[in-house]
Amino acid sequence: MPAAAPFDPQAIVDAKYTERPVKPGVTTKRTICQTCDIACSVVCEVKKGRVVKVRSSDNPIFRDNICMKGIVAPKGFANPNRILHPLKRVGERGSGQWQQVSWEDAIADIGTRLKAVIAQHGPEAWAVSTSQWNTATDHGLGRRIMNHIGSPNWISGVALCAGNTAAVNRLTYGWFPFGDFNNTKCIVLMGHNPRRHSWTPIYNYIRSAQARGAKLIVTDPRKSSSAERADIWLPLKAGSDTAMMFGWLKVIFDEQLYDKGFVANWTIGFEELKARVDEYPLDRVAKLTGCDPEMIAKAARMYATSGPAIIPWTPITDMQRNSTSAIRLQCILRAVCGNVDVPGGELLQGFNPDVINESEIEMHEVLSDEQKAKQLGSQEHPAFTYRAQERFREPTKRVYGQEYANLVMGCHMATPSATFRAMAGQGPYPVKAFFFLGNNPIMSYANMPLIIEAMMNQDLIVAHEQFMTPSAQLADYILPADSWLERPWLTDTFGWMSTVRTSEKAMEPPGEARSTFDFWKQMAKALDRPELVPWDTLESFYDYRLKGTGMGWDEFVATTDVHFAKPEFRKYKKTGFATPSGKVELTSSILGDLGFDSLPYFREDPPYDPSYPLKLFTGVREDGYFQTGHRHIPEMRKRHPEPIMFVSPGTARAYNLSEDEWVEVANELGRISIKVSVRDSMPDGLIRIPHGWWKPEMKQGAGHLSGALKYADAQLCRDDDEFLDREQGIPHLKGVPCQIYKVTPGADPARVEEVDAEVTV
Amino acid sequence: MTSSERYLRKQERSAKLAIWMAGRSSRNKTLVDKVCRWLVVKETTLPPEHDFLRDEFVDNDQGFDPDELDRYQRGEEIQP
Repeated sequence: MPAAAPFDPQAIVDAKYTERPVKPGVTTKRTICQTCDIACSVVCEVKKGRVVKVRSSDNPIFRDNICMKGIVAPKGFANPNRILHPLKRVGERGSGQWQQVSWEDAIADIGTRLKAVIAQHGPEAWAVSTSQWNTATDHGLGRRIMNHIGSPNWISGVALCAGNTAAVNRLTYGWFPFGDFNNTKCIVLMGHNPRRHSWTPIYNYIRSAQARGAKLIVTDPRKSSSAERADIWLPLKAGSDTAMMFGWLKVIFDEQLYDKGFVANWTIGFEELKARVDEYPLDRVAKLTGCDPEMIAKAARMYATSGPAIIPWTPITDMQRNSTSAIRLQCILRAVCGNVDVPGGELLQGFNPDVINESEIEMHEVLSDEQKAKQLGSQEHPAFTYRAQERFREPTKRVYGQEYANLVMGCHMATPSATFRAMAGQGPYPVKAFFFLGNNPIMSYANMPLIIEAMMNQDLIVAHEQFMTPSAQLADYILPADSWLERPWLTDTFGWMSTVRTSEKAMEPPGEARSTFDFWKQMAKALDRPELVPWDTLESFYDYRLKGTGMGWDEFVATTDVHFAKPEFRKYKKTGFATPSGKVELTSSILGDLGFDSLPYFREDPPYDPSYPLKLFTGVREDGYFQTGHRHIPEMRKRHPEPIMFVSPGTARAYNLSEDEWVEVANELGRISIKVSVRDSMPDGLIRIPHGWWKPEMKQGAGHLSGALKYADAQLCRDDDEFLDREQGIPHLKGVPCQIYKVTPGADPARVEEVDAEVTV
Repeated sequence: MTSSERYLRKQERSAKLAIWMAGRSSRNKTLVDKVCRWLVVKETTLPPEHDFLRDEFVDNDQGFDPDELDRYQRGEEIQP
């Protein structure tokens, strides 16, 4: 816990940059925080077999990369309500009646029931939802088992956060780049707002770059903290990023600011692109974005002429109706301005050659073409499904040495909405068994009512979890999961970057909590395929993966904070790009072949609906929480005790809203309760809804779901056609029509808060 | 070779050197490693008045008491 110690700047400086002294009775472990998806290198201090402190790394290249969520992790995982033993549902689904069972009995019954589902409906009737941010030791083993069993229906929150970006980036230049913050001269944040306690290393990189003189351009409807520090802030309308980038390209092409040599030698489709861009003169772009045309032009010139520039990944363009076009335009801007694979630009790193990567472990080659064709959603929205991504097999082999590159896990996914429809009995075939690991699917995708219906229609639901989340409350089995303090880890940054890092195990897992590696090893056995996970322990699995380094896990983790691949730039000069043409595809041959527009385009909002005159955006992180987690940690709940909606002073006046007032926000899909906060930073007509709210202390079970039915933003996130990106099928979360309703306390007894006193926060 | 090509090559050499130094600095075993670490620290250290990462929550963190964590996990009352 942070103590009220006197604040001595000199002492802090001294403490940060020198090796810490060894404290009596304390041992240290070099670990990687897996509280969120950023993976900061940190140090755990261990006393009496417990992690008692998490602090930043002694390594200067990871210095100060720690936030409040990492610091409170020892208490978060010591929560008395943590699930420590396998639980089996004994009443009706969602009744909250559980029986403690052994891992062996649970796995045996799960295996029997899963085999029965497969025998009756086919392997595609088994779907899995997870990511590897917090499950970590999955390492692709889940996909490996699914591929051998025959199910293509793996879904993840990365479908609308980074994974889909990776898949769409491949359409243009074959890989997902990472910006070279250390050498860049200009950074563009498209709605993204890294802060001291959220995306901390990225915040660190950006501030360091600014301290060196790099320019910062921010496009964001609200005046975020990044916007306040920016050289240029463009307050665009929510969801109009695509139109904004067309405007930038118009300026860059008209003023001849692009890299003509690179465009001539390494791109295809420039003339077609230029014709499309000509459809977006600045006065039209100004109208679509709500921004001043002079400022749009100034930003475009700054991006194109400052020197190597980067457009770091942003979740904003992952979650909108024009997502594919927006991400493609980011790629196109990078390419035509000569920023691809150069120092200070966007690096196409490839795999680390010394370590067996997760894409290889997944073994996508064993899943038959017939089963791949059954991947849910791939016919309507193929961009990140096998249907599109299989076309990269030859180019990826040519450039990166292997056929499959599942970058950020996002390149061979089923589409979530189509999967939930099939689970609910509305798809081309039934899905009747659903596993989720380290994931709270009810609240993590659009259209929460559909997901609940889908889960209530399952024959078998298995959760691998640390806490009784709203989704876990509907499971047949909950198997207790370990935490990042309690396991070793080897990370290749989800196949995206060529650096490899290690994390030591700092303490033993409590109760019967086990790793995801153990979960999948047991599942392989239960499905009569033990040979799929032949390694006895996680450490022996890492020995196998590291054999190219000439070291085993014990030696590697003892000697290595980070293992770099040999750096190279402009590798395309030797190999071409990993696209079908070998060049940067300004016109995407794959999208064209699949029957989509091969160029980016802009879909405007559906017609104005006077019933829902406001717009909301969601998907926003609060510093104390990551996604739907951490509401059980007292120190974090004190900081964010209730879900807070941000509105502008103008909107507050129009609706007669006051600070801290409870209101309801609703649209055609659903309704949530939320408190008001009036912020000068917000534009009129737009409201900000925080992501992932539920309260662990509230009543559990179907019909309650610990407050998820009262607070969760996923009830407002639509997934009908107007609100889905065409190519990917992901939902529009940045500008959803809605209305605010004032409430009278006690007016709706059904929505009165229900507190379960047995659950401790 | 054009001047822009020469500039780009210089940048590439510089970036490769920085990555090599970061790798050696991270290993921190031999004398060369430690020299690299000293240089990296020197290059990246900001004066306190410009240190944007200073934060009360982080800088004043004193960790937890293991016995208190045990009691908390057992559901016993603990001092706030």
